[in-house]
Amino acid sequence: MSENNMRRGFSSREDLIAYVRGQFPDAAQRDDHVSEIRGGRAAAQAQLWKIDPVRYAATRNQLNGGVTRLSAYLRHGVLSLVEVKRFAIGRVRQPRDAEKLINELGWRDYFQRVYKAIGEGIWQDQEAYKTGFQINHYADQLPDDVRDGTTGLKCMDAFSRELRETGYLHNHARMWMSAYLIHWRRVKWQTGAYWFLQHLLDGDPASNNLSWQWVASTFSQKPYIFNRENVERLTKGVYCSMCPLYRKCDFEGSYEQLEAQLFPNRDSETNGGR
Amino acid sequence: MQNPILWIHGDCLAFDSPAFQQYPHAPALWVWDDALLESWGITLKRVVFLYECLLELPVTLRRGDVSVEIIKFAQEHVADGIVTVESPSPHFRETCQSLRQTMQVKVLPIEAFVNYHGSFDLKRFSRYWQTAQRYVYDD
Repeated sequence: MSENNMRRGFSSREDLIAYVRGQFPDAAQRDDHVSEIRGGRAAAQAQLWKIDPVRYAATRNQLNGGVTRLSAYLRHGVLSLVEVKRFAIGRVRQPRDAEKLINELGWRDYFQRVYKAIGEGIWQDQEAYKTGFQINHYADQLPDDVRDGTTGLKCMDAFSRELRETGYLHNHARMWMSAYLIHWRRVKWQTGAYWFLQHLLDGDPASNNLSWQWVASTFSQKPYIFNRENVERLTKGVYCSMCPLYRKCDFEGSYEQLEAQLFPNRDSETNGGR
Repeated sequence: MQNPILWIHGDCLAFDSPAFQQYPHAPALWVWDDALLESWGITLKRVVFLYECLLELPVTLRRGDVSVEIIKFAQEHVADGIVTVESPSPHFRETCQSLRQTMQVKVLPIEAFVNYHGSFDLKRFSRYWQTAQRYVYDD
């Protein structure tokens, strides 16, 4: 073995982790957590066998719904989109029964195509904000309480912790967290996108940044927001039921009320449908 | 190319990727890009995940400047070119450009998700999907 080569033989996962920690001290210093999610083809295939396209279509929006958890493997080409598509079609009686899952795989294909077309532009606003605010109204810094999970909002604090500890978040948790940072805390989407990329095992500038831009309204017709009722329903109340801010949190109210509070300067011209 | 090396990067970590499939006996290299890890502020869990993926592949692991390490590896193996797999990343394109100053580079396509060779309107997902959904079930 050349002396330039890094090690390949490890007696256990702990052995590997200790080696990586020693070789990449800066990465460990940024955040020392290791995910339970294993890398590699064997782990990816085990996860692939669990997918159920029909259950996915019916429950994917629920935080404990039948999502695939394949994103980290797809991101790094451990599995390909074509392979997952074919596998999903093979699991159902007719291809259309896998339609919702295939549509969601399509989002990844779409984002990859946009990334190929715009390159480093992935970090730039694709369109102006449609929030009534200008770019200079948004902060560059990630607030400490969001990063550390100490906002007092049970849902956001749990998502922040989960991101740092596991490197994975359900799609709705990502959308809520990004909407909270951009629209409630008025932080630039780029700041949040960078934070996610540091931690997410599936972190990919294409899917990640364009999803943040979609929430921000720089890659969509209007900003994405949510309310407490939406969180409570899709999480079956696990956060709301133990939150001291229940019914008085920042997310309380109808969509119309929240939009009026969050975007008071938005004129009717920018208030388009998505 | 008669005797290429394979450059394996973060978008093609499968043994059934086109590089391994078309050149199963070619020496393969992964390079940890220290500058990229630093500028992206990558955390430990992401490095461990990637390392686990790499340990299942027949690939030599090194670190440093990606282009420099690939050329060095190619010279060690008296290679006549570099084979890799496509990626949309602008950093990937820059690396290929840099490598081409010294050696021939062949970029293999991955199998397309949508079997359609026309152009897509990428302004919004809905426009892309309007076309894509007509071909996505064709195999």
